[in-house]
Parts: sequence; C-alpha cells; structure tokens
Amino acid sequence: MTEHPTATWAAMPEGNVFYRRQQVYSIPGKLPDLNDYVVAGCRNGGPLAMMRDNTKLVALGRSTPAFAKAQIQVYSLAGEGLLLFSWDQGKIIKFGWTADEKLVVLNEEGVYRLYDLQGDYTQHSLGTEAAEMGIVDARIHPNGLVALTGSLLLLEVKDWEGGKPLTLASPGLTEPPHAWAIIPPDLNISRHVEVLLSVESTILAVDNLEAVDQRLSRGPFTHVSPSPNGKLLALLTFSEQLWVVSTDFQRSLADIDTSSLGGEGSVLQVEWCGNDAIIVTWSNLAVLVGPSGDTLPYMYYGAPFAVSEVDGVRVVDREVCDLIQKVPASSLSVFRPGSTSPSAILFDAWDSFTQRSAKADDNIRSIRPDLAVAVNECIDAAGREWEPYWQRRLLNAAKFGWGFLDLYDPTDFVNMGQALKVMNAVRFYDIGIPLTYSQYQYASPSHLIARLTSRNLHLLALRISSFLSLKPDVVLKHWACAKIARAKPATTGGGKDAELTADEEVCKSIVEKFEQLGNGEVSYADIAKRAWEVGKAGLATKLLDHEPRASDQVPLLLMMQEDRLALLKAVDSGDTDLVYHVLLHLHKRLPLGSFFRLIEDGGTKLAPASKLLQVYAREQNREMLRDFYYSDDRRVESAVLSLDEASQMTDPAAILTSVKAAQKFFSEDKDRGFEAKMMDENARLLAYQQQLEKESDGKITFFGLSINETLRTLLMNGMSKKADKVKSDFKVADKRFWYVKLHALTAMRDFEGLDAFARSKRSPIGYEAFVRHLLEKGHSKEATSYVIRCDSPRRVDLYVECGDWRLAGRECKERGDKAKLESLKRTCPNSLIARELEQMLGSMK
Amino acid sequence: MAPAPAPISNAPQAAQTDKHEPSINTDVLRDIGTRSLIDTLNSVNGAKTLVLDPSLAGPLGLVIEVSTLKNHGVDKMFWLEAGPLAASTTNIVYLCRPSIKHVKIIADQIKRHARESQKHLYNLFLVPRKSTVVTRILEEEGVLGDINISTYNLQFIPIADDVVSLENENAFKELWVDGDETAVYSSALALVTLQKLYGPFPRIRLATLLTRSLPEQGTLEPDPSAATAPIDSLIILDRHVDMITPLLTQLTYEGLVDEVIGIQNSHIEIPLSLLTVPNAPNPSNPSAALPSTSASNVTPVSNEKTKKHHLTPATDPLFAELRDLNFSSVGKRLNKVAHRLDEDYKARLQAKTVAQLRDFVGKLGGLQTEHQALRLHTGLSEMLVSHTRTELFNKSLEIQQNLLASYETTKQINAIEELIAQGADMQTIIRLLCLASLTTGGIKTKALESIKREILQAFGYNYLPLLLSLSAHPLSAVLPVPLPPSSDPPSKLPFAAVRKSLRLLIDDSPEAIEEVENDISYVYSGYAPISVRLVQCVAQKGGVISNPAEKAPPADGDTNGKANAEKHLRAHPILGWKGFEDTLAQIPGETVDITPKAGNVNSSPSVTSLRNDQTTTTVVFFLGGCTYTEIAALRWVSRQNRGRKFLIATTSIISGKSLIDSIAGADSRTKETSR
Repeated sequence: MTEHPTATWAAMPEGNVFYRRQQVYSIPGKLPDLNDYVVAGCRNGGPLAMMRDNTKLVALGRSTPAFAKAQIQVYSLAGEGLLLFSWDQGKIIKFGWTADEKLVVLNEEGVYRLYDLQGDYTQHSLGTEAAEMGIVDARIHPNGLVALTGSLLLLEVKDWEGGKPLTLASPGLTEPPHAWAIIPPDLNISRHVEVLLSVESTILAVDNLEAVDQRLSRGPFTHVSPSPNGKLLALLTFSEQLWVVSTDFQRSLADIDTSSLGGEGSVLQVEWCGNDAIIVTWSNLAVLVGPSGDTLPYMYYGAPFAVSEVDGVRVVDREVCDLIQKVPASSLSVFRPGSTSPSAILFDAWDSFTQRSAKADDNIRSIRPDLAVAVNECIDAAGREWEPYWQRRLLNAAKFGWGFLDLYDPTDFVNMGQALKVMNAVRFYDIGIPLTYSQYQYASPSHLIARLTSRNLHLLALRISSFLSLKPDVVLKHWACAKIARAKPATTGGGKDAELTADEEVCKSIVEKFEQLGNGEVSYADIAKRAWEVGKAGLATKLLDHEPRASDQVPLLLMMQEDRLALLKAVDSGDTDLVYHVLLHLHKRLPLGSFFRLIEDGGTKLAPASKLLQVYAREQNREMLRDFYYSDDRRVESAVLSLDEASQMTDPAAILTSVKAAQKFFSEDKDRGFEAKMMDENARLLAYQQQLEKESDGKITFFGLSINETLRTLLMNGMSKKADKVKSDFKVADKRFWYVKLHALTAMRDFEGLDAFARSKRSPIGYEAFVRHLLEKGHSKEATSYVIRCDSPRRVDLYVECGDWRLAGRECKERGDKAKLESLKRTCPNSLIARELEQMLGSMK
Repeated sequence: MAPAPAPISNAPQAAQTDKHEPSINTDVLRDIGTRSLIDTLNSVNGAKTLVLDPSLAGPLGLVIEVSTLKNHGVDKMFWLEAGPLAASTTNIVYLCRPSIKHVKIIADQIKRHARESQKHLYNLFLVPRKSTVVTRILEEEGVLGDINISTYNLQFIPIADDVVSLENENAFKELWVDGDETAVYSSALALVTLQKLYGPFPRIRLATLLTRSLPEQGTLEPDPSAATAPIDSLIILDRHVDMITPLLTQLTYEGLVDEVIGIQNSHIEIPLSLLTVPNAPNPSNPSAALPSTSASNVTPVSNEKTKKHHLTPATDPLFAELRDLNFSSVGKRLNKVAHRLDEDYKARLQAKTVAQLRDFVGKLGGLQTEHQALRLHTGLSEMLVSHTRTELFNKSLEIQQNLLASYETTKQINAIEELIAQGADMQTIIRLLCLASLTTGGIKTKALESIKREILQAFGYNYLPLLLSLSAHPLSAVLPVPLPPSSDPPSKLPFAAVRKSLRLLIDDSPEAIEEVENDISYVYSGYAPISVRLVQCVAQKGGVISNPAEKAPPADGDTNGKANAEKHLRAHPILGWKGFEDTLAQIPGETVDITPKAGNVNSSPSVTSLRNDQTTTTVVFFLGGCTYTEIAALRWVSRQNRGRKFLIATTSIISGKSLIDSIAGADSRTKETSR
C-alpha cells in the first residue's frame, strides 16, 4: 500500500502549520554535482539548464569532460537530458527561462539567444551601445530581462520579440551592486519592471522613470529575492541576517539569524516557497523559514538547487527532486491527525463504507449540513495528492458523499478527474513535468500542450488536447514543422525527381492529417514558411496552395520571390496595408524598370496596387512617380503632377516652367486639346501677370491670381485699360466681365465710375443686377438710380427694396396700377409715407 | 442649465424622450473608444506631451474630454504641425492617422531633437492601425529605432443615438479619386467590431461597385452568446451609387446648418452672442472640444468672437425636435415653442400660494435651458434665412429642381454659366455641373468646354486637376457627350428611368402637397434621395411604390388590412431586393445579397424575432459618407414602420461642399491661402 499522505508532512516546531516534502523523482546519479555548475530552473516544473561554473575548481582524475568550450546542458526534473549544446560566442553572463520554456542565453556582448528544447534558436542583440560597454550581469524573468551594462546602466528588454532595449533611469552606481533582483512588470502596480539594487547599506528601487533610494541602513545584502507574487522581499545581510520586508519597505515581517541554523559555509540560495515561506540553502542543507520565523531543516546530498513556484519550492540535488510546499488547506482538512472537519469525516465514512461498517452511516449523518462543503474539499484534496491511489480514494469519497445530496453539480468533479488524468500523464518520469494542480490552473492547459509539443511529444499533446476538447491546430502545426525539419533531405542519387516525390509525400501526409484532425482551421502558411526556411521551396509552394487566407500567404510569397503572385494575393485580400507591404518590398528589391513593368503588366487586376503606388509616391517619392507615368505614357497624369508641383512652388519662373511642361504633356494627348489650350492660356496669363507686377514695381501682387481676380485687382487699382486688354486677350465673357467690374467698382465706392460704366453700353447683365448688388452692399441710395433702367414691371418692387416708397408710388401711378398702390399703402412702414401714398391714390382718381 | 450634466450620462434620457428609441445602445462604442484611449495613454509611464493630428481632434473630442486626458498624465498638448516641438516631458506621444505627411513631420521633429541633443522617448500611436508605409518612411528617415509604434483603434463613434461614424472625411475621395481602398478595409474592420458587439448580421446587402468589400466576413467567428442578434440586416450603400443626393442643397434644418455654417464632427462654430446670455452661465461647456493650442480652451480668442458649440440632441431636446424638419417648417415650430415657453413663464403670475411658487421655481431651471436653446436656434434660423433669401441660393435651388425634373436641361447649363458670372462660389458651381452631367448622362462637349473655361478663368487654372479628376474614369461625375473614343465607356446612371421606377420626384402640384410631407422626399422639398429609396426597396417596399403613410390607398390589399388594424405598417422581414431587380439592374454597380453560412446563424432570426413582436435594427452603412438629410429621411422611414429601427453607420457626414472640397484636395486650398 502506498504510504499515507501525512508521511511526508512535517509540522513547524511552534504552531499548527504543516509543510510537506514530496519526493517527486528519485534521480540518483543522473545529474552532475550541482556545486560545480551554474543552474537556472524554469517555473512550473520546467527543466533545469546548467553550465559548468568556471569560477570553481575541478578535481582532475574523475571522468571530467574537457571544458574547452562552454556547454549548456538541459535536464528535465526527472534527470533526463533534454538538450546539450555548446556556445561559441562571447562569455555567457546569464541564462534563464521564458514563460514558454525557452532558454535565454545572454553573453557579455549583449547578444542573447532564445533556444527551444529542440536546440533551434533565434538571436537578438541589446544594441551596439550595449556591445561596446559590455554586459556584466542580468536578471531574466519569464517575459523579459534586465541587463546591467559595464557602465552600470540598466537595460530592459520586454517580450522576446527582439525589440529595442529600453534604458531605465540611471541608478548612479559607482560599482556593481552587491546583489540585485527584479520584480516583473505584471506583478507591479505600475505595470513596469522594477529593479532592486543593493548598494552600500541601502536598496535602490529603479524603474524607467526614476531611481529611489529606500534609505535602509542594514545592508549591504548578499541576497535579494522577491516573492512569486512580488509583494514581499527576502534580504540576506552579510551577517547572515534574513530580513523579510514588503516591497515598498513599509512593513517588516520577519528577522531571523540564519547563522544559527546549522548551515556550513556560505548561503547558496534564498528562495521563496510559495508566497509565505522562504528556503535558505547551504551545501547539504535546506532550511525552510516560515512566516513566523519558525524553521524546518531538510537534509540534502551535495548542493541542492531550489526553484520557487507559486505554491511551493522545488529542490533538486544529486539524488532526488523534491517539491516542498505548505500543505494545502483541503489536504490538511482531510488528513490532519485528529481532524474533525466534515471532509475528514466524509473520508472516514467512505473508508468505513468500503469495509462494510455501519459507522459510515453515522458519520454521514453527523455532517449532513456540511456535506456539500465536505464533498468539494475532498475533490480539491484529490487534486493536491501526488499518488493516483490517494487521488482515487479521495474522489471516491467525494462521489460517495454526493450520493447523499439532493442536488449536486458534478462539473467540478469531472474537471478534476480530467485534470488529474492529464497531470498524472505528464508527471510520468519519461515526460518529466511534475506539475501541481495550482500550477496547472495557473499556467492553463494550452500552455501545457505547448510545452509538450516543444518536447516533440506530439502524440501525447494531441491526445490531451482532444481529451480536453481544445483545438488541435497548435499541435498539428508544430508536428508539421517538426516533420518538415526532420524529413530526409533528398536522396543524393535520385536527383530532382526524388526530391519532388519526397516533397509530395510529406505534403500529402501533412494535408491528410490536417484535414482529418484540424477541421480545416489550421493555417498552412506558417508551415509553408518553415519549409521555406529549411530550404524546401517546392514543398512550401505546395503547402501554400492549401492556405485560404491571403494575408498569411503574402509575406511568404514575397520571401520566395513569387512577386507577381504575392501582389495579386495582396490586392485580392483588400487589405491595402498588405499591398503597400508588397509594393515597398518590391520597390526596394527590383530594378525600377521591372518593378513598373510588373505593375503595368498586371492590367486591371493590379489596378488597385498601381493606384496605391501613386498615392504613396505622390507624397514620398515624386521622382519615381514621374518615371512611372513616363514609362506608362500617361500624359494626363504627368501633366497633373507637374501642375501639382507648380502649386507647391514659390518661384515664379519655376511655376511657369511647370505649367508649360503640363501644357506640353496635354498637347501630346490628342484627346486633351482643351486642357492644352487652357494651360497655354494659363502660361500666358502668368507671363502677363509677371509683366504687370514689374510695371507696378512689385507693389501689387498679380502672380497666380485667376483671371477674375486679375481683372478685379486691375480695376481696383484704376488700371481699367489693362483690364480691357485682359478681357480681350483672354476672351472673357461679357457678362462675367460686367459682374466683376460691377463688384469691383462697388467695393471701391467709385459710383461715378460705375455710372459711367453702366452708360458705356447696354448692360449685358441688365440693370437689376446693379440694383441688387448695390443693395446687398448697403448702398440703397445709389441703387435707386438704376431702378429706372430696369424692366418696368419690376420697378415698383425694386423701389420698395431700395426703401424709396415715394418713387415706388410714383411708378405705380405712372403705370396706373391702382391695386399695387393700395397694397403698397398697406405694407408701408410709417404713416408719413402712408399719407403720401394716400394722396397719390387720391390724385389717380 | 447651471449644473450642466455630462453629455454622456444624459444621453439615455434623451434617447427616451426621442420618439424612436433605438434598440441598440451606441454608447458602448463611445465607451470603447474612451477606454482604449486611456489604456493607450497609460501604456506610457509618467507625464507625457501629447502631439495630436488636427484631423483627429474632432473625433477625439466626441469620445474624451480634456480633463480626462490630463488625469492620465497628459501634460501638454500640441497640434502635429511642421516646425520644432518644444516638449518639457521626456515622453512624447504622437497620435495620428497613418498618413505620409504626418510621419514626415514626426521624423523631422525627432531629428531636430537629436541635433539639439534633447533626450526624449517617442511613442507613436496610429489610428486605427499600423501601416507598413509608416514604418518604411520612418526607416527611410532614419528614426525608426527611436520610436515605439503602436496603435489606437478608434472606430465607429456615435454622433447621435442612431448614427455612428468613422469620421474619416476623405473616404470618398480616397476611394473614387485616388483609388486607395484603405477606407473599405477599415470600414470592414469596424463593421466586424460592430458584429462582435451586437451579434452577427444575418444578411448583408451591398449596392456597390466594390464587390470585394468586407473581405473577411467569411473568416469571422460569431460570438455564440449574441445569437439573439437584434440586427436583422446590414445594408451597405456605396456613395458612388447615389452621387446625386449629396450634390443637392440639403433642406432639413440640420442639413442646412451644415450647408451654411458647416458642422465639423458635430460641432458648429457660431458667434459668441448666440451662446452667452447676460445672467446665465454657458449653456454647454464645450470642453468636449479639444483646445486649439495647449491652453486656449479657457477663453476663446477674443477677436474671433466665435465659439465651438456641440450640437447634440442629448443636451438640447429642442434640437432633436428641429433637426429633421424641412427648413420651411422650422419657423413655425420655433414659434410654437416660443409660445409655449411664454405660457410657462406666465405660470408665475398665476402662482398664488407658496407651494405653487415653489413648483414654479423648481421648473425654472428647465425653462431657462429651453429658453437658451430657443435663443440659439432662433439665431441660427435667422442666419439660415438670410442665406436662403440670397439670389444665388435660390437660383442654384431652381437649377437643381429643374435638372432633377430634366426640364430644359440645356437652359440649366446656361444658367450655371450665368451663376459663374455672378460670382457664385466654386463648390456651388461644381455641384451643379456634376448634377447636370449625372442627371442628363453627360453634357455636350462644346457646352462643357465653355463652362469649364469659365470655371478656370473665374476661379483659377489650378482647378484643372479637379475638373480632370471629376471626369476621370471611376468617378465619372462630369462627362462630355459624345465621349472621346479612346476612353472606356463608364457605367452611366439612366437617371430618367430610375426616377420613374423609384418614384424619386414627387409632383409639386397643390394636391400633392399632402403627399410631399408624407414621403421621404420632404427632406429635399420634393426629391427623394436614391440612397434612401434603395434602403426602402429592402426594408419598406411599400414606401417605394406608393406612400405608406397615406390613408389606405386600395392599391395593395393585403398590407392594407394590416395597416388599418394597426396604426403603422408592421415592418416586413428583410427579403432582399425582391421586386426591384429591374430597378437595381439600371443602377451601375453590382448588388450582392449574402446570407452568411447557415451554420453561423440558426435559420433566420429576422423572421422569428418579428413574430415575437421584437424590434429589430437594420444597419445601413454608407461607404463614402452620408448627408444629414439622408439621416433625416431614414429616421422618417423608421418612424413609418413599427418593429424596425435603423442604425446609420457611415464613414463620415458629408455635404456637397465637403465632398467637392475633398476632391479638390488640400493642394488647391493651400494655394488659395498662401497667396
């Protein structure tokens, strides 16, 4: 029988808190002596990466490998070697793990690589500045890193996309800090990373805005370690005092002298166990320090290595891999010796039931009101147990309990069953991911699947995702990529044909698998890209044919230099940004001539692309646009472009040249005779305006005015002869000329001139226009004098509008329109006029 | 209106007072805009200088207030303009549309700072999404490494309770003059967002030349929780299908205000005297308007004497009442309101007891608000009246009506020439010219050339590119007859036939007056917008054939039985273009009727929901902008039907003037001002 869960428990000397040390794997002889290595552990039961520590001496004679080159080894927690690669770049400063289990390796030149568990990597750099100064230290958190440069500045990298590093506020250091740590952005209120540096006797808190001195006097510190939730900080002083404080340094929580705990030599690590306890390790010993300062010692063989988890701490030494955690509340409730909690009684009841004891019934009755709670607790406790034996027993107890409930929603039960199946599968030593229930919840099932695929465990990942009814496309995609990468390179003898058939086979198998499992929702583009990257262009093209989404096809097509196809697909997608992407890319790569030919040959299909190119070029690259129009014989567009340029120039000579160029372009197109003529006129006008300006010694600006404005300006300046010349030179319509002159003269209040003008010949616009315009400008007196020249039936009303009632009356009288006169009388504004009108009425009789 | 409540909180009440409450709450969209802007700003730590694209100021003013910006670390604000930028904070945040012009300015400023060795952190937020062109230009200018590029996804902004707009004023020009289809794509994205919010569109109907519109509809995954979609259909109208309507002078109150004074992002600029009252505080604090420079919000520049006023029915119930009326009846309505107000004031005299007096004092605030609104609208109406009295206005109106009726078309061309001589402004002339060409199917080459010549001589030769763009192929707004042989024949609108089949023109004869007020044509005093008629073809078929509001004409029997039983016709379910296929064939462009895959929507919710007596909403999207008048007409349609409301979505609100201005392009305008 499997040993009782409480066998692994240990109580803190004072108080009721229990901690358990769960031996997860026994790994004798699988790992080297950790004391000689620099180790980095990944959270959530991820693997360990280790590199020989060059600062430590090595005893010769043992079967030590040659350390000529730096080598990094990656082991799963079950001691299985996952990856081994050697490092050929500058000295490694730091390595650590990202959230998606990639190993980040940073060297002194500021270059960092992200290795996946298959040994493929992407490389980024912190920039030339960092390379010059050199990197002396770094801290890596799951979503970024902070590096300390040789000039003691801090550089932050966010996400792992290779973005430009951000320089944090200068801490003003003169020597490297004694110890330092970072609080990741997602754990800070400000959502920006915070760096804690132990400098002299204090701590500097640095973010991207400022460096704040926390004004402590207990330092310097040898270890700075923030808790997994970023709220607390464990600090170890040189005098081996462990001090726990909140990260804002407002609350001091514990203060323990660790030198009395029995450790030999110096402290190796200060790590958190969950969020409320700290583990301090020495060679051969790890001491757990509880929240109230109580301690629990655990013995280890050789140097242990501790990795903080959200719900505990993993400790690995040469023999075992342990998980030390506070006993979860539900387990405590069920299994604590002497527990009388409902769940404990339920468990007991079920135990009695299986032994056919009547005690079961009594037990159930005694906890009737709390049965639902007890059932839930049993389910939860099942999730916390490591051994399937106990998991099953607890779930059975829960099932037994809910049989006595009237209504019970079994969702939790089902979910827990599923979760346990999955967790037990991945905890298996071959897989080596000892995930706890909290971690599984915290990191999500899809994350777990990603971790499995990155270990090339596709079948298990696929089974798990279908078991949890997750979409299988992630797994399929990864599988396909792996398959392509592993597919045998074309057999040497067979030549092209063999390659083709090999591609055909791979493609077929991938497509088959996708259609069978993926519901047609898997994107082929990524896989095709992968195929292209490993040099299988033929396969890539084949795969890409299966991709339905244009936006995914285009970048790859470009990469494969399938220019025309890429452009076509981009245009088809309707996404203009995609079209731009292709256009700009091609513009850069192709010679201009063939670039234009590509677009022109596309005809109507590529018309939108051509239009977009014109829009872009009009703003950014006019030279290119000119060439484009020229090469395509687009005279009209060329002319418009010239005019557009003219409108942005200030130099008159240059404008004139542009206008003439436009005229030339228009004249080359037989359909554009009118436009050519107009531009000719325009050029003539501009030349004449230049002449006018010269004549007026530049006092009056004419250049660029329209003909109407030119006329007006001339008239306003008393140059009516010139105005007449313009009128005849440019064949200005009579009517328009009259209106312009009318408006100009009125604006100048040159009423005599206006009168002379009105008399010069019979007005082509009639005289009512005169009256109306003068009225509009408020010259009613002058307006009145023109009424007499208007058509007689309109005169009365016009007089009224001019406000001259008397004349209006007289007009009525002359025309003998009595009715009108009477209506005038009714509407007139005052009695004086009314009386006069009355008189007129009288005289008409 | 002393304790002026925030317009947002007030909106729901206004929606209730409004007779037709929409079944969709558009405020969600504004909240999304506000929240994502705040998130965007917060992603930059510490105090920051905000540099804003002027064309975004208006739309942003509708979603956020300056004080909110200040609360989120915005220290100072500047326009994005060429020239040096004096920023006092380390963080500089640029917020702009991804246009090449803007990016170049940004690059210049960064380079200038580098020369002056100023250290800043630059963040560029592009609205609504990233663009390769921007990155490319920044790269070419050598500053890409210095700037963080990210996005602020501003999409539909509600500008009334039933109107949402992308506020992208250049959409029509980009589409039809430049051939830049970015607007289509961003509209599609915005419509997808709408779907995510309100559930999938069961049916999509397009009347557009752009058959590739809405490219990713197929790939969309509907949110299962929104299966009971209140939206029964999406109708997309391409502005190019109905070019005529925006060219006409709008005759509703709001439309005319837009024509005469100009409404920019729901704000109008009017003389200060209309807004301030000696002893009352400002009616609505225009804090929604972003300041023109960093601090000029507090006091408007004194010599200008104008002030921005936010025209919204939310704070101004009188406006809600007036906006959709034909202008001719606005005066009457104002008069009525004035009378009522007077009566209410007089109630004071009847107040005998203290209790009555207290009642009156309680009402006083409301009365004063109303008084203030009345003052504003009377003032506005006066401005409009003086405009409508001018000879040019009436002549252009007359030409419009004659052209619509195809009455002596050649004479109308001469009349346009006359207007040029009289000095009418460029936009009016171009509008009339386009209208003439569109309604007659082209102008005789000789007449056209002479009128073009007049235009160029009167307004300047720099308008030649405008004339060329208008007659260029996809737009084809001004065409000669006969066409030059080399050009490909454009799709022409057989206006006369469409006028007949869609009953566009309602006779102005005395016996038809009753009818005029009972048809959407009231908005243009006798002409029904094609666009709205097309919507009616789908959503209110009876309204196209004859008048639904008329008292039971015995023409179509079965619908009438219902009409008698109920006050209004029950809206019929959306059935596509059925019955109007012939008409649609006449209109250029293809029509599309998509019912997304059956798997997405369980059968047809529109039918089932109608039976449940539930109000459904039909989304009408205008690609390329719509006018206030069309909105008014659609509201009218929606009042005639029980059970169907319209949500009007558009790329922007346009008028003929803004349309012509945008086609003329910025170039000619800068030329005007620079000289």
